[in-house]
Amino acid sequence: MQNKAQTKEKVSFFRKPAIQSIISSLICILGGLLVGFLVLFFMAVFSKDIPISEAFRGLKIVLSGPAAAGNPRDILFTCGNMLFTATPLIMTGLSVSLAFKTGLFNIGAPGQYLMGAMGSLLVALSIPQGSMPAWVIWTLALLTGTLLGVVWGAIPGFFKAKFNVNEVIVCILTNWIAANVVSWVFYANQQQFVNIAETKTNFIRKTISNGVSTATFGLDKLFAGSYLDVSIIIVSVIAVLLYVMLNKTTFGYELKACGFNRNAAKYAGMNEKRNIMLSMALAGGLAACGAALWCLNGQQDFKWNTYQALPNVGFNGIPAALLASNNPIAVIFSAIFLRYIDTGGSYLAGATKFNEYVPQLIIAVIIYFAGFSKFIRDFLNKRGKKKEKPAPAFAVDETVNAPKTQTPPEPAAEDAPEPAQTTGKDGDDQ
Amino acid sequence: MENTTIHPEQPPGQADYPYVIEMLNITKEFPGIIANDDITLQLKRGEIHALLGENGAGKSTLMSVLFGLYQPEKGKILKDGKEVTINNPNDANALGIGMVHQHFKLVDVFSVLDNIILGIEPNTLGFLQKKEARKKVLQLSESYGLNVDPDALVEDITVGMQQRTEILKMLYRENEILIFDEPTAVLTPQEITELMQIMKGLAAEGKSILFISHKLNEIMEVADRCTVLRKGKYVGTVNVADVTKEDLSAMMVGRNVKFAVDKTPAIPGETILEVEHLTVKSKLHKKNAVSDVSLTVRAGEIVCIAGIDGNGQSEFVSAITGLEKAEPGSKIILCGEDVTKKSIRYKNTHGMSHIPEDRHKHGLVLDYTLQENIVLQRYFEKEFRKSGFIRFDKVREYADYLIEKFDVRSGQGAVTLARSMSGGNQQKAIIARELDREHKLLVAVQPTRGLDVGAIEFVHEQIVATRDAGSAVLLISLELDEVMNLSDRILVMYEGEIVGEFDPKETTVEELGLYMAGAKRQEKKEGGEENAE
Repeated sequence: MQNKAQTKEKVSFFRKPAIQSIISSLICILGGLLVGFLVLFFMAVFSKDIPISEAFRGLKIVLSGPAAAGNPRDILFTCGNMLFTATPLIMTGLSVSLAFKTGLFNIGAPGQYLMGAMGSLLVALSIPQGSMPAWVIWTLALLTGTLLGVVWGAIPGFFKAKFNVNEVIVCILTNWIAANVVSWVFYANQQQFVNIAETKTNFIRKTISNGVSTATFGLDKLFAGSYLDVSIIIVSVIAVLLYVMLNKTTFGYELKACGFNRNAAKYAGMNEKRNIMLSMALAGGLAACGAALWCLNGQQDFKWNTYQALPNVGFNGIPAALLASNNPIAVIFSAIFLRYIDTGGSYLAGATKFNEYVPQLIIAVIIYFAGFSKFIRDFLNKRGKKKEKPAPAFAVDETVNAPKTQTPPEPAAEDAPEPAQTTGKDGDDQ
Repeated sequence: MENTTIHPEQPPGQADYPYVIEMLNITKEFPGIIANDDITLQLKRGEIHALLGENGAGKSTLMSVLFGLYQPEKGKILKDGKEVTINNPNDANALGIGMVHQHFKLVDVFSVLDNIILGIEPNTLGFLQKKEARKKVLQLSESYGLNVDPDALVEDITVGMQQRTEILKMLYRENEILIFDEPTAVLTPQEITELMQIMKGLAAEGKSILFISHKLNEIMEVADRCTVLRKGKYVGTVNVADVTKEDLSAMMVGRNVKFAVDKTPAIPGETILEVEHLTVKSKLHKKNAVSDVSLTVRAGEIVCIAGIDGNGQSEFVSAITGLEKAEPGSKIILCGEDVTKKSIRYKNTHGMSHIPEDRHKHGLVLDYTLQENIVLQRYFEKEFRKSGFIRFDKVREYADYLIEKFDVRSGQGAVTLARSMSGGNQQKAIIARELDREHKLLVAVQPTRGLDVGAIEFVHEQIVATRDAGSAVLLISLELDEVMNLSDRILVMYEGEIVGEFDPKETTVEELGLYMAGAKRQEKKEGGEENAE
């Protein structure tokens, strides 16, 4: 729709919203890397053991991502695993960005993720192998997990819509409820789901033990025996579908209208309460689907006592969404990027004299900077706007005052309703 | 009249130099635009000087220059005849320049006194010393007749009081040049009268007032001199006593503007809207916001509900349109069908159009493009939807058609973000949308709020046109001029009740004022029983 617009009215390259989003994300990433480097640098400066050159080497390793693995085969293997671990992150990123589009902050992705994991594992491990084809079990497990996430997401949506309870609070509560429910369910059924002989302590059996695993279509072999399976493709398709849904359908139009301006949506006769619930339910389903895809890979361990910590991948959906400016297709890339840095970081401790906490710190800094992407986008936008001019409010024909000189267009600072422009006087617009 | 620059009559530096602030030949350019082109503004000590111009004429830019937010390319600013440089608002404050913004800059949960001392809190060793400040505020409040309770919380006081708090803020800081930026836009007629008195009082005490406005009546009433800007150019400065309202508007708009609305007598047809015993609970107090209101609006007539803001008009409209719930026992009949319990969508698709009171809150999704806003109530119709997908080509076509028909202007046509459009064009877009939708009833709430003269003329023409096409129009307005000019029948609402019905040809503004203020009320026609409070 935006593209069609530009055929008629030329918008300067840097004013295109998509370009601005990309630029702002890049600035965030660069900023994060710079600060990350400074951390390395000063650690090297203040430490007797670490020469300063190590800081540059560290940055290089973080930047090289999977390439830090060394020989080609290892790089391929690492790449495959990077893509595989990006899969659930893409889904939680999509979850968060969908909610953002509707004006909601889905900080409940970890809880929804846990419920998805639980649902899929319960089904995948409890239907006896051979009683039905494995792909049926796989599908049932995926659907069950997703459905549980839908329910889990709908809870904050319901409270928001009906009682106007802040969704953040309810999300945080449902996160910990989910953590305890999941722990409790698996604790009560340890006999069935944990095979002490086969698995590490505190971990649920892998679904492959019941013959259930995601099809790989040779992707695992292609990437030198990594975990990669077809889920990365499923996830990418979901992202594209979500993009189309948001931008081309009446449903997406309604969701976004509710997000931008709930009152106007109500005025226009949209059922804004229903839309809020649907949006949260869908967001929950997305996060849970990501978890189910992860678990159903077949080779993954799931730690049953989750009451101790919420899964990071749920929270990391937030920076993935922010870096992508909530664009579903861009989420694919932002999530992969976050995993890329993570992968590079994981080699840092082994290859340099920095300890294993340093890469985590650098990643945290980059994620932190991701939060600024909207700020930077607004800044770019404001700068761009100063140079543009809104059209005059009304036609004025110059019949009274004869000389038809070239009248100056309307000044930009006047009358444009954007508060950032004229109310800067008190510096109160942030 | 055009481009006649006035030069100081006396050389600067003399003792009785008459001008307290002068902005001489100010030119401010933005890339591609000259926002202020050789503008001169001279403010005499103790005068009320109006700055008149349409939206986009350059008033705000000029004031931003005065406050040091922009540096002009050409021209200089003189204080008491001496040239000064103003680099930021703090410099302006130091020169004694203060401003009441159109949207107040107050902390809602602070008291009036706390707001006044905010930023210059009197203290010893970091502990607040409010006693002295309180005394000074009370004294100022009394001597200028401002009547503000320093201990009231800002969120609890009326808009008029909040504005007086802003005035007190300037007085407390001992500013001598007071700028009022469209101060009456948010006020009720009564409060406007009070403000005019206050401004005259301030001027009499030797304060110099710069009054930014595009409301001619107010300028005629209160200002001594008036500087007119048009499209960034200086048109002229006149003594208000020497000119008429028509002269000023011609200077401002560049052509003669009709103040009276051209319309033929109404020919009312069948009843379109019937409201029976409508009661709406108030969110603010225990009494009902609207209590037991019954009225009818017929096809081909404009019925106007007049009243001072906050007397239940907003709640009344919200109940009719469905944004708020009506109490049991209320009945709303649209085209013969009881729609009391129907959804907003149902009403929208069954003959009701609604120009909302607040275009940013309800009327537009500001982050949507113009074309997306144009189909806000119609995106689901067959014309614009195909198996769940929006047909953006059709939307675009329709938007372009409306833009053309209603002359909606924006930077990038149909794909302009609504947020980046000017207020007048935003309102035009809403009006285009609501009038082009199939409707039998138009509910228009303050449709000209915040618009300039040319725009108001346009809106009025459109409303009359839809009436003549056979629609019923329910108009809610706070502007008595609009009420008198536009309506075929006037109902006055006071404290949630209809207290009188008038024919605009037979009544006067003064008579309406008495009813609006609650001083008089007609007995109810039906049943004949007086509804005592």
